[in-house]
Amino acid sequence: MARRRTRKRNLGTNFAALCIAAFVALPLYWMVASSFKGQADITSAAAVPPHPTTANYGNAFSNYSFGQYLENSAIVAVATTAIVLSLGTFAGYALARLPMRGKTTIMTVLLMISLFPTIAVVAPLYLLLRDIGWLNSYQGLVLAYTALMLPFAIWILRNFFLTIPTAMEESARVDGAGPVRTVLQVILPQALPGVFTAGVFTFVAAWTEFIIALTLNNEDRYRTIAVGIALFGGQFTTPYGTIFAASAVAMLPIALLVLVFRRAVVSGLTAGAVKG
Amino acid sequence: MSSTVLPPRRRSGMRRRSARLGWAFASPALLVVAAVMIFPIVFSVIMSANHVQVSGNGFQLSGFTGSNYSILLHAPRFWHDLEFTVLYTVFTVAVEMVLGTLIALVLERLTTGRGWMMALLLMPWALITVVSAELWAYVYNGVYGVLDAFLGDFGVHDLNVLGTPMQASIAMAVADVWKTTPFVAIMVLAGLVMLPSEVVEAARVDGANGWTVFWRIRLPLLRPALAVAVLFRILQAFGLFDLPYVLTNGGPGTSTESLAVLGYKVLFNDLEFGPGAAIAATTALIVLVFCLLFLKVFRTQVGEQED
Repeated sequence: MARRRTRKRNLGTNFAALCIAAFVALPLYWMVASSFKGQADITSAAAVPPHPTTANYGNAFSNYSFGQYLENSAIVAVATTAIVLSLGTFAGYALARLPMRGKTTIMTVLLMISLFPTIAVVAPLYLLLRDIGWLNSYQGLVLAYTALMLPFAIWILRNFFLTIPTAMEESARVDGAGPVRTVLQVILPQALPGVFTAGVFTFVAAWTEFIIALTLNNEDRYRTIAVGIALFGGQFTTPYGTIFAASAVAMLPIALLVLVFRRAVVSGLTAGAVKG
Repeated sequence: MSSTVLPPRRRSGMRRRSARLGWAFASPALLVVAAVMIFPIVFSVIMSANHVQVSGNGFQLSGFTGSNYSILLHAPRFWHDLEFTVLYTVFTVAVEMVLGTLIALVLERLTTGRGWMMALLLMPWALITVVSAELWAYVYNGVYGVLDAFLGDFGVHDLNVLGTPMQASIAMAVADVWKTTPFVAIMVLAGLVMLPSEVVEAARVDGANGWTVFWRIRLPLLRPALAVAVLFRILQAFGLFDLPYVLTNGGPGTSTESLAVLGYKVLFNDLEFGPGAAIAATTALIVLVFCLLFLKVFRTQVGEQED
């Protein structure tokens, strides 16, 4: 009796899970399937491409500049992640461990900045970077992204540092290791999961960001993939086949990253919820 | 700790030294954030209270004025967009919280394949919003969209979802719910997993059924996790830009125009930097006030362990 109830319960749960999976996966499937539909089939509602073709991929990467856009996104996202992690690790460590006045205020301000609508900074950023000639460049976008993504990275890193026992730092200090060496050689290895989490978040945020990239880098040569996709298309028709081919390729690195670092991402998403 | 045996003066000296070290470690990051995020926010406010002239090779602030704000307050379009942004935020976040909690409850009971489900749920979250906007525009297309084909089977024809204000708003909300509900579900699930199981067990032993346990015990305990998810989502939704910019461009007319889209259009299409800055500053102010109120009400444990 009890056993049968459990089985029924499992059946219900599994069915619900299947519905959820379908709800999430179907639009994604539709995007990938449509990227293999030729010009004649792109307007058909057939669930499976009737005449599968890779023409859209060829078109996106040899006739249009989606390869360049992907390269731009990769350069900006990797550089941003590297800088955010190197600055954020030291800041996160200091805010977790060292006795500084006003830490609560700093953490609150950082949290609020990381949730601020980006439209609030876009106009001054545009004018200031125009003044120093950094519009349509990699360094301008990297600078903006570094500042935009540092606050949340510092939060994740600080929360992670708080969970690490202090014993090893103490003994490193007694052994006469300097503070920078202590952080790099003693703390960092223990904090690697937190660093991965912050890194994945920064990379995903930089890869998907739109409004700042749209404003600062509007020249074709420096467009990121998000801007390239948004601005692609004619006045009256949208070439969805080409767009989805580029989108599917743009999704690939993020999908891999998320699969490999699933745990890290989940712990990062819940960093706010878990603390306190 | 070795420092406890030192005389008090040496200890306070060490403390001062490590406080200095703290600032040395933290200041590069904090300076970048201050210069590239905080300064522009402040500068937006200054711009919004000035006549701003932008030319080919520079910009000039020429004199204090309240006219940017008075333009705003007398523009029906601004009020409409403010109303749309607020309603849209309330509606989508409410739907996402309910759906997300339900999904989290299912995931919690799921015994096999939970890892794969989590990975799948992360996909919409990690998808470029612009891409999801293009995808839904394709689905909603009035001529060949798969939604029309699907509804056609049920005898509903020529819906032209993105062509009418109410339907376009709902269509946009659906796209938003699809992309962000998984994020809410994962946050709520993390909260669920952390709940003390003894309390739930005790209630079960006392004869409480599933519903009672959920409403009376788990939901109240879940409140901190839900509060954080609501805060994150409300603030994200309030800055809504990518989705309407690509899916509807604010249309039809200005019916799905968010404050951020209005701000962007005024700034970079009309090149009206004064009024544009006023829109941006107003949006920021609303977020700031909401944030402070929210943190006060829920006292969301920001760095409780200040020493």
